[in-house]
Amino acid sequence: MKILVCVKAVPDPESLITVNDHEKWVNADPSVPLRMNRFDEFALEEALLIKQAFSPTVIDVITVGSAESEPVLVRSMGMGADHGIRIACERNGYMSPSVVAFLIAACTKGKGYDLIFTGIMAEDDLSGQVGPMIAEHLSMPHATSVVLEKTSPEKKSVYVEREMEGGQRDCLELPLPALLTIQSGINRPRYPSLSKMLRAKAQPLELIDAGRLERREPQEEVLRVGYPQKSRSRKVLQGSRQEKVARLLGILVERSFIKRA
Amino acid sequence: MERSIVVVAEHFQGEITPITYELAAFARQLQQLLAAPVKILILGDPVREVAQDLAEKTGREVVGIQAPGLRSYTCEAYKKLLGDFLPKISPSYVCVPHTSTGWDYAPALAVRLGAACITAVEGVVRLNEGIAFTRSFFNGKITAVMTSKVQTTVLTLQPGKIRPLEPGSARPGPITIHSVESPSQLSRFIERKQRREQSSSLTEAEVIVSAGKGLRKKENVSLVSRLADLFSRSAVGGSRSACDLGWIEHRQQVGTTGVTVTPKLYVACGISGAFQHLVGMSGSGFIVAINTDPNAPIFNVADVCIVDDLTAFIPAFIEAYERRLMAS
Repeated sequence: MKILVCVKAVPDPESLITVNDHEKWVNADPSVPLRMNRFDEFALEEALLIKQAFSPTVIDVITVGSAESEPVLVRSMGMGADHGIRIACERNGYMSPSVVAFLIAACTKGKGYDLIFTGIMAEDDLSGQVGPMIAEHLSMPHATSVVLEKTSPEKKSVYVEREMEGGQRDCLELPLPALLTIQSGINRPRYPSLSKMLRAKAQPLELIDAGRLERREPQEEVLRVGYPQKSRSRKVLQGSRQEKVARLLGILVERSFIKRA
Repeated sequence: MERSIVVVAEHFQGEITPITYELAAFARQLQQLLAAPVKILILGDPVREVAQDLAEKTGREVVGIQAPGLRSYTCEAYKKLLGDFLPKISPSYVCVPHTSTGWDYAPALAVRLGAACITAVEGVVRLNEGIAFTRSFFNGKITAVMTSKVQTTVLTLQPGKIRPLEPGSARPGPITIHSVESPSQLSRFIERKQRREQSSSLTEAEVIVSAGKGLRKKENVSLVSRLADLFSRSAVGGSRSACDLGWIEHRQQVGTTGVTVTPKLYVACGISGAFQHLVGMSGSGFIVAINTDPNAPIFNVADVCIVDDLTAFIPAFIEAYERRLMAS
């Protein structure tokens, strides 16, 4: 089996993310390194489980971005992927999913992948577009929100269950090659192993200059960004921990959630 | 060519889903800005009856695409049928639900149509630059206004953001039915499995204390249960991440893929507040949020915000509560 996993390096969503001066894009905390999009960890783990079950299997990991994204490829190899590929392009602001999908598809065509995995979406843009778009460029069937996957190399097919609203699941069978976008919770992503990390750091990454590929302009743009509206009173409790505890207790008693003594 | 707005209805075996009426309302907002007619497309087999139902409830023009054997949604069929039909009317906007069916085909359809794609749209606004759409980035910490630079744009609308169109008052819209050949498909739809009946204690609870990734480890779940024990008729819930990590049972998951809850009091402990979670709990009577990150989106829907480490705050709160009981 030959599997490609698409991963993205994203700013930690728990870190400080602020609107930039021109309200055109955001500034992420420069002291916090980019990390692997959580959903992609599930996608990679699913590929690693297939590799364990069916030998020989080769896993390539691909990302689109600047050199800042490389630690994410190294981490992927530390988890067990075989090769890391970076489509080098500078990232200033919003990166259009349609451009990313186009670039990945351009580098993937004719490489003979049986399966392509992505996370269900990226934590930064929450768009969920790259996977289905790659599949369309490569004319292969795809399924999103996959919560169960059983690959059958002999039958050259994959059985998947997709998570639908209200806990329902759509069950379908796709012929290979196919692309799946993986939902969180499908597995427990492993931690990288030390020995694999050491090997990964010594192994060269494949670099593809996006400038050498056919150019694709984004068809949508971000006009401006801001902070979300607050829908409630949003009373922030101040003071020491003991003071905050006392305030909260007072509020909950006042509203009769806790009985008055 | 005349500009138009197309809504692609969502249904499951003839049962129209609520998001379709939110899409119809969204299309009306868009229509007020664009002055273009709205058509609702519905795909299926049989399609006439459900098309009629839609035309009556929305008062809109409905186009039914009857494809033999298309009983349930499949990505390939939707891509093929919409990809064949839409270029004939070359709409300015194609409005699709941001649900597990919509986000499945919309991006691929956009590629097929050479259209722009903006997913998880929350609203529409008119700016000097033209018509633009709001959506969230960075797990809801940032909102952005986006616009399209090309003639056709595929949009997916986030459920729960637009008040649905009230069915009924208008005259039924005209209906046309197109019969097409059944599209050939590589993949095979097997079935839609229903949820295994597992009752959740969340639906009955008046107070829900929910745990998120900020709990940091499974051992800390006991803190959340102890906090919940202070209230009568309470239950413990969890965010998707907490359930994925196995800290909280899946049937106790609050959010779009779990349970939607409206307790009198909701206490969010270490939950950042992804949109899928907020949709599932923002209707609660009173919301208290505890999180170390002062910019966590959960604070935007909270009545009381506590920026603190819950592993220290909750024990301190329980202790203060118990002291109070002793003193009384």
